[in-house]
Amino acid sequence: MKGYHLGELEELVLLTVGILDQGAYGVSVLEEIKAQTGRKVNISAVHTVLNRLEDKGLLSSKMGGATEERGGRRKRLFVLSSAGRMALEDVRNMRNKLFDQLPPFALEFSHGY
Amino acid sequence: MDTKKTYEPPKVASNFLEWYCNPEKLEEIEGDAYELFYMNLEERGPNYARWKYIWHVITFFRWSNIRRRKPTYYTNTHTAMFKSYFKLGWRNLRKQKLTTFISVFGLSTAVACSLVAYLFIEQIWFKGMNQENKEELHQLVYKIEKEEGIITNGTIAKPVYDWLNETSQIQHGLTRVMRGSNVLIHNNETYFPRTQFVDSDYMEMFSYGIQSGYAGALEDPNQVILSSEFAERLFGDAPAIGQEISLIIAEEEKFFQVAAVLEPMKDIEIFEFEVLAHFDAIWAKNADLTLKDQWKQEAWTFIRVKDESELVALNSSFDQIKADQNQINPDQPYLEVSTIPFTELVPMASKIDNGVIGFMGQGPIILLSVIAAFIMILAIFNYVNISILMATKRLKEIGVRKVIGVKRSQLILQYLSENFLVCLGAIVFGCLIAGAFFLPGFNSIAFKNLQLDLLGNWMIWAWLGGLLFFLTIASGIYPAIYISSFQPLSILKGKSEVGKKGWLTQTLITLQFTLAVIGIVAGIAFVQTNAQNADREWGYSSENKIILNVPDPEKYEVLENQIRNNSNVISAVGSQAYIGNWINQNDMKVADKEISAQFLLSESNYLSEMEVESVSGRTLDQLAPAEFENSILVNETFVQESGLLDPIEQIVEIDSVDHRIVGVVKDFHTIYFQSEVAPMVIKASDSKDFNYLTLSFLEGNDTQTMEEVRSIWRGIFPRDLFTGQFQNQVFDQAINDAEGVQNILLFASGLCIILAAMGLFGLVSLNLKARIKDYCVRKVYGASTPGLAVGLVRRYLILGSIAAILGGGLAWFAVSGFLDSFFAFHSGVGVIPLGTSIGLLLIVVLLTGFSQIFRLEKANPSVVLKSE
Repeated sequence: MKGYHLGELEELVLLTVGILDQGAYGVSVLEEIKAQTGRKVNISAVHTVLNRLEDKGLLSSKMGGATEERGGRRKRLFVLSSAGRMALEDVRNMRNKLFDQLPPFALEFSHGY
Repeated sequence: MDTKKTYEPPKVASNFLEWYCNPEKLEEIEGDAYELFYMNLEERGPNYARWKYIWHVITFFRWSNIRRRKPTYYTNTHTAMFKSYFKLGWRNLRKQKLTTFISVFGLSTAVACSLVAYLFIEQIWFKGMNQENKEELHQLVYKIEKEEGIITNGTIAKPVYDWLNETSQIQHGLTRVMRGSNVLIHNNETYFPRTQFVDSDYMEMFSYGIQSGYAGALEDPNQVILSSEFAERLFGDAPAIGQEISLIIAEEEKFFQVAAVLEPMKDIEIFEFEVLAHFDAIWAKNADLTLKDQWKQEAWTFIRVKDESELVALNSSFDQIKADQNQINPDQPYLEVSTIPFTELVPMASKIDNGVIGFMGQGPIILLSVIAAFIMILAIFNYVNISILMATKRLKEIGVRKVIGVKRSQLILQYLSENFLVCLGAIVFGCLIAGAFFLPGFNSIAFKNLQLDLLGNWMIWAWLGGLLFFLTIASGIYPAIYISSFQPLSILKGKSEVGKKGWLTQTLITLQFTLAVIGIVAGIAFVQTNAQNADREWGYSSENKIILNVPDPEKYEVLENQIRNNSNVISAVGSQAYIGNWINQNDMKVADKEISAQFLLSESNYLSEMEVESVSGRTLDQLAPAEFENSILVNETFVQESGLLDPIEQIVEIDSVDHRIVGVVKDFHTIYFQSEVAPMVIKASDSKDFNYLTLSFLEGNDTQTMEEVRSIWRGIFPRDLFTGQFQNQVFDQAINDAEGVQNILLFASGLCIILAAMGLFGLVSLNLKARIKDYCVRKVYGASTPGLAVGLVRRYLILGSIAAILGGGLAWFAVSGFLDSFFAFHSGVGVIPLGTSIGLLLIVVLLTGFSQIFRLEKANPSVVLKSE
């Protein structure tokens, strides 16, 4: 996935799908993000991001089972593809690399002038 | 979990979601929305859950989720689809060469026929529409009240023109136009061209192509412009420009110089002329006329305005003109002076008296349209029949495609696009046929100059496009619907048989035969009528006689004396009109009964020279000269119409003078057989009334006599037009016309029968192919070939017989009416046309059917039955 940059929400959703392992679909991703980060994301935004990530090959999906809460409708279950996992690692490596280059004082907020 | 049962997400929002959402994504999206709804329901109560649900539905309304009819890749598959349809269609057509030829040939003759009809109608209905400035041209008209009601008159008086010429309102052109009938002299030869007199603005207002010379030629009133055909007739290959000609205008010879020659004109031109001269040549500019007389001089007057506001201003100033006229001519006051747009002249032709476009004969238009429609219907029927049968071979293809999931509409589309190919071919070939054969033929029959001008006439493209569309749909829609209606199951099981019932095929072929019968009856009845009329007695002797025109009756006696001196001439008589030409019509009174009759003044021995038989009483040459003044002869029709039992010595009042009937003559035809013999009165007169001289000459000296007589005539009337002709040729024009119509009809009926025969041939051969195994099995069991052929043809014979009865009956009505409208004397629809056409039809059916015998004969059962 060279040359592709993940957006902030995309990265978040991608990570969440990874965490949820086999049980990632619209509502569970939404709930998980809310639970883990306290962020309220709109369900349609989650859908859009999931679809976009799938189009880019970072996620793959299949239709799952139906439950009564869903009025008998099936879920689309997403799992991280290997490309997705690589993309996440790329992001993490990039962050770490950048983070490591920070001069020490940059972290010391109490540094006074 | 009771809440789930009692609370549901709002229906409206759900419906909205289901309506807009892409079906592929609907399930997951709706599922998530439901799940959230029930979560919210438990946590926050029904109201919150509902509102949240609605909110979710709205936020899901995104581009990526919305159902689109056409995915972005759709158009690409479309072109690919049509490409493959066309490819398939092309292969199919190539595979079935004979049937394709039949279809394309039939359709293209139909196209060619309608093309001729269209071009003919176009030049009538769109007369003048080729003019560049047509939107800016207007004609001046006035309205007056007459007995018939309010009448719009197309010509307008000279003072109106003078007034327009003086005011500054007309800036872009003003011209009068008048057709003349003038003798033209060049090199001592006289001609009678169609002349037209116009003002100098004419050439700027109307557009003409200039072959040589310059368009402004009419600025000089002593110059003329000629049409190219007439210039060629006058001067041959010599250059026309600068040549001198003279025109006889109001008995005076005026000289002109040719200053321009126009390019050949088309039939669509609104003005037909061969010589264009300046208007001052006929109405001298400063002629001494009383004002009242000036108001009587009328001509067509056209103006050109570039702006609508000019026209409005002009119209408002017409009131003054009207007031002037009303004062000078209170007997016939103008009710209104106004303008009519040039483009409206054709639609309004019937409402304008003395208009540019006079009587528009509907007869030829109707005749041609009917013929074109006949052929078109025949060709389409052929095509429908054949294509349904051809589909038998493709039933399996259709079945397989249906099983794969092709929709019916797609099959129809496929079929129509194949059909489009055929029709396109038909249009192309139709244009070729029309251009190469039909148009030249029609032009020579109808004295027209119709051309298929594909480059310069965009209307023809629009028309051809429309025709292509019509043909594609009209000929293809039924077969398409029919073929696509089969159930795949029954096709693949082999249970479906196309055309098994075939009521449609049978109806169509019967109708085809019926049309063919009507066409042939019309053609043959016309031929028969013409043949009968050729032998019909004219009621007088026309052999060995020449009619000479006498331009000046005062010189009649000089002419007669010189003519008599010629050794070939036996006798010479004078008359006011001659038999075969228009004769004066007079109102007369017989015993208080008004009667309108032809009134012929002639030398006393005219009728006996013409060998008109006397029925009773005396002839004019038995009268004493003293009796000439008040004695008349009448013909039999006159006696019949006036109701006189004993006509001799009865009194007829003509122009308030009493005349005595001294004799009755047998009816004779003064006009050709289009009209009945009219009541006629003949009175003796002397040379002051004689416009014509009829001479008898020695048999066998036709051309020599004509030459000699012509030179005598020329010596006496050097500046007049010689119209001398043989008496037995006076009806030639009428006979030619009748033969023209006859040829068109024969041609059309020939086409009808060819098309019907080809259609039948296609049907029979396809039928045979489809049932060849059936026949071979019978052969194996010992059936004879002729017996099988009879079986094959029997059905068509029955249909042919039905058509013969139907068509014969219809033709009897239709063709009788048609003949009545054409001739007063005709053969009627008798045994000959009916018998011939029905016989011809049956022969065609039999021949077509038995032409297949050789195929039956050739078919070897052991090969055919083994093949699968």
